[in-house]
Amino acid sequence: MNPAVGLFAFLAVSLATAVIGFYGLRVSRTTSDFYVASRTVPPWWNASAIGGEYLSAASFLGVAGLILLSGTDALWFPVGYTAGYLMLLLFVAAPLRRSGAYTIPDFTEARLDSALVRRVTSLVVVAVGWLYIVPQLHGAALTIRITTGLPSWVGSTAVVAVVCLTVVAGGMRSITFVQAFQYWLKLTALAVPVVFILLVLAGNGTPPQAPLPVNPTGQAAAGAYQNISLLVALLFGTLGLPHVLVRFYTNPDGQSARRTTLIVLGLLSVFYLFPTLSGALGRMFAPELAQSGQADALILLLPGKLIGGVAGDLLSALVVAGAFAAFLSTTSGLVVSLSGVISQDLFGGSVRGFRLAAVMAAVVPLGFAFMTDTLALAGSVGLVFAFTASTICPVLLLGIWWRGLTDFGAIAGMITGALLCGGAMVAGTLTGAGNAPAWLAQPAAWSVPAAFAVTVVVSIATRNRVPASVNRVMSRLHVPERPVATER
Amino acid sequence: MTRVRVTAPRQSAAPASGRVVHSHEATEDSDAGRIFVRSLIRSQLRLALVVACGFLVILAVLAAILVYGPGVAETRVMGMRLDWLALGVGIYPVIGLSAWLYNRAAARNEARYRDLVEDK
Repeated sequence: MNPAVGLFAFLAVSLATAVIGFYGLRVSRTTSDFYVASRTVPPWWNASAIGGEYLSAASFLGVAGLILLSGTDALWFPVGYTAGYLMLLLFVAAPLRRSGAYTIPDFTEARLDSALVRRVTSLVVVAVGWLYIVPQLHGAALTIRITTGLPSWVGSTAVVAVVCLTVVAGGMRSITFVQAFQYWLKLTALAVPVVFILLVLAGNGTPPQAPLPVNPTGQAAAGAYQNISLLVALLFGTLGLPHVLVRFYTNPDGQSARRTTLIVLGLLSVFYLFPTLSGALGRMFAPELAQSGQADALILLLPGKLIGGVAGDLLSALVVAGAFAAFLSTTSGLVVSLSGVISQDLFGGSVRGFRLAAVMAAVVPLGFAFMTDTLALAGSVGLVFAFTASTICPVLLLGIWWRGLTDFGAIAGMITGALLCGGAMVAGTLTGAGNAPAWLAQPAAWSVPAAFAVTVVVSIATRNRVPASVNRVMSRLHVPERPVATER
Repeated sequence: MTRVRVTAPRQSAAPASGRVVHSHEATEDSDAGRIFVRSLIRSQLRLALVVACGFLVILAVLAAILVYGPGVAETRVMGMRLDWLALGVGIYPVIGLSAWLYNRAAARNEARYRDLVEDK
């Protein structure tokens, strides 16, 4: 591929992000604008922004790569990513919006009336955020290496630099517009090349080189345990992601939070058709990418390989732009929510503190990304979901629906989940990818129930610590808001 | 206008906005109000669990048919294998439909609660 194509696409996306950020910055002027900007934004924009932030490197590059590698087993990933939002809608969306909390530590502190719970939750949230940024940087490293031939570290460093600059300069302002733009960019960047390739193939009548069900790597198919455990992680991990929760705060009330989630489900369903199609095309026309260990680059290489020429270069530029939109949007969403948490708990919430925290939130995972190898992108993000599902999910779900939750129960549950799932992740990495037994490689199926059980048992044992405010907080979470107009 | 620097989210959770108010102030202090709130929470939880379990059962049945149904996965519909079609396309409308039905039912539960509180 022409190296200039990749560089040009990266610069164009960074520039567009900066310009939209600047434009949005001029729209929102007052203090309350910064907090409630999105209340004046229609639900479609809001839902696009949620989609934009959620669709990360794993969705953009990883899903197609994994479909190329393991076929129908990999189709469970997009199903899980989407159904995770269904769980979020059912159990979390409206109550969490009504809680008025902006971050997950805010929520646990308000619900359990305990500063200690807040601190533990903050630690867990920072860990989740850092773990989640690392695969984004791996994706950026891969994209730069494949498309421009520059060394890998250039890609991850460039993403961290752009994110740090925009977050430090702009804070939380105008992020809704940027994220919404990036959803539509990502969708276009996947859909246009796939549709173009399908039209060209249909026009030429090119026969596929390999039939769809043939397994290009010869790896054993994932067993039922792995698929079930993966689904547990994705279904229950989504509702605890720190950068997703912030977006729900921007809905005016609980009902509109539910409506927005419904639109998000539609947007995600449409989006995931295209990585699936690309993966299927890859299995039929580019099975050699799987053998050479470049499966995650399938989306980037497909247009150049199947079309070529100027049209191929243009389509490749579009795909690279979409990929960088994915890295930038998810990373900046995570960095903003992490720096909010870090600056509040560490630096007392000053401006300097926020900026320092933003740099910390982005640079630490850069170090991790340098130290670790690129695993399959979708797989490593799957592990982050498992960690979230084992730590934050029990506290959120039980906090919203069960009056008996206590601060000790919440802390014990989070620590158990973090130790079990984190331990499995470390042990799995040490034994090496591919060698780890299924229960270590995909821990969610046992670590999530264990975290729930510990939370419930410790809460019951410390029943006298149920906060006095529980009735007030619970009715705040669940009682519908009423329009002022009908108020007497 | 004075310049204010926004550095972090507000700690004290403020009410949603000026446009809406929480109606619980009127209800949470009376015994009847507390019972209404409890029954609202219980009905919302039951609804969420029913939809979640229904969806998971559909998913499990689909997976079981694809894995154990002889020849089902290889069946071709419009030239495409059924397992790819079902997992890659067919499941998404089911997710959307579950979400839509849930939204309607949850709003109905809330409307019923409002009627109860206002009748009082």
